[in-house]
Amino acid sequence: MSFRPVYFTRRALEGMARGPYVALVGIATIFVALFATGLLAGALGGAERLLAAWAGEVKISVYLDPGTDLAASRAAVTAAAPGREVRAVPAAAALRQLSQELGDQAHVLDGVGPGVLPDSVDVLAPGIGLEEARSLAARLRTLPGVADVDFGNAWLEKLELLVSRGRIASVALFAALALATAVLVGNTLRLAVFARREEIEILKLVGATDAFVSTPFLIEGVLQGVVGAALAVAALLGVHAGLVPRLQVAVPLASVLRLGDTLPSGLLLGLVLGGAAVGLLGSAMAVVRTLRRS
Amino acid sequence: MIQLFHVTKEYPGDGPALQDVTVSVEKGEFVFLTGASGAGKSTLLKLIFCDEPATSGQLLLFGRNVAKISPRSIPYLRRNIGVVFQDFKLLPRRTVAENVALPLEVQSMVPKDIRRRVKMLLRSVGLEHRADKFPPSLSGGEQQRVAVVRALAADPALLLADEPTGNLDPERTLEVIELLTAANARGTTVVVATHDRSLLERYKRRVVTLERGRLVSDGDSVRRAAGEAR
Repeated sequence: MSFRPVYFTRRALEGMARGPYVALVGIATIFVALFATGLLAGALGGAERLLAAWAGEVKISVYLDPGTDLAASRAAVTAAAPGREVRAVPAAAALRQLSQELGDQAHVLDGVGPGVLPDSVDVLAPGIGLEEARSLAARLRTLPGVADVDFGNAWLEKLELLVSRGRIASVALFAALALATAVLVGNTLRLAVFARREEIEILKLVGATDAFVSTPFLIEGVLQGVVGAALAVAALLGVHAGLVPRLQVAVPLASVLRLGDTLPSGLLLGLVLGGAAVGLLGSAMAVVRTLRRS
Repeated sequence: MIQLFHVTKEYPGDGPALQDVTVSVEKGEFVFLTGASGAGKSTLLKLIFCDEPATSGQLLLFGRNVAKISPRSIPYLRRNIGVVFQDFKLLPRRTVAENVALPLEVQSMVPKDIRRRVKMLLRSVGLEHRADKFPPSLSGGEQQRVAVVRALAADPALLLADEPTGNLDPERTLEVIELLTAANARGTTVVVATHDRSLLERYKRRVVTLERGRLVSDGDSVRRAAGEAR
């Protein structure tokens, strides 16, 4: 069989026009599955970005060994964290700050001298990511005179674990949704193939090969997948446009959210390609079964 | 062209539809295959156009053993065979012209040539003016003429017709048989399954008779038998 894309695409479009209900059901099935998948992926991407931004508010504190030159350490930290705001915090200032934070309970510090707290250097890193924070802390630890570096490791580790588990869950969910969609689309397209079994029988009667019979159905599946995915992408963009501004009003931290955080172009392209692949897989399953029986 | 040697066809849970049938059809012949309903005429045609395999025996088609032809090659073999059915088997949602064009599209003929050939074919059966109509809007005779023209569109070497006149009145019946005899005159081998005795009497052609799956007579003897029955 010579491949004639225009001829087969025309036949696929004619098939969809002759059975619009079945085509619409196929498109709707793919739309729902990809919209749900995209919504989940978008929500997860947005959550990751928000969590990263939240984590970015963390102040990285570099505690110095007793007797270390605070000014020299500040310079070293500035060199190690270029572009970041760096503040030298003498022990006395740290004690004063602690006293202020304790408020009415400040009397517990009565009798405590400034020597109880070490000198430190604070690095303010707004918008820094988790990995970057960890990498910066590791660099700071290697500086001379540094006793310890704290950037909220304990809760950040938990946060990272949570995000990582969310990522795994979303991949598993996506796989399950993709499989379920392929089966649903396969069943829907089986209806389309079944409705045209007479045409298939006659085509085979006049000498059509299996490839000749199945190609329009496969193209139909791809077209349904692409249309369903395009609608899902449009709906996701609509949800983003409607929801994110409201979220940004309600939660100031959400101001960092951009379209690329929730619906990156890679995700949108992936949804369209995924829709085409699911449509192709579903139609292939349907047409192979029918041809095997005819 | 067609050679059957001791061919038997059985369906599971049923008696044999064909039993030990040995018969051959030469190139350019016109053969009536006759017998009562259930005699095995349709089964024999199904074996010939490779719709079903024989249970035992050997069937040679165009000199090739059908049992040894791979499933992938069957479509290409069928392109040499035109088939006409009693129920026409036209696609109701495709126009007359599109129905006739099907075998040509399958064979990847250039669209311009397809249009030209379809026009010529429809003109030959007086249906050029019905080209854009859909089959359900045509009379039974017209639909069967379209089916015959479709079967002949790709100029097959062999034409099989299964009760092609079963749904037609006598006048339309003659029209259809005339189309088949005209194709035969152009060199196409024609096998027509029918239980219409009047056809056998009117057209003095070879007659192969089946009865309960067995070949009971072939050729002149049947003509004599038909004569005796009269």
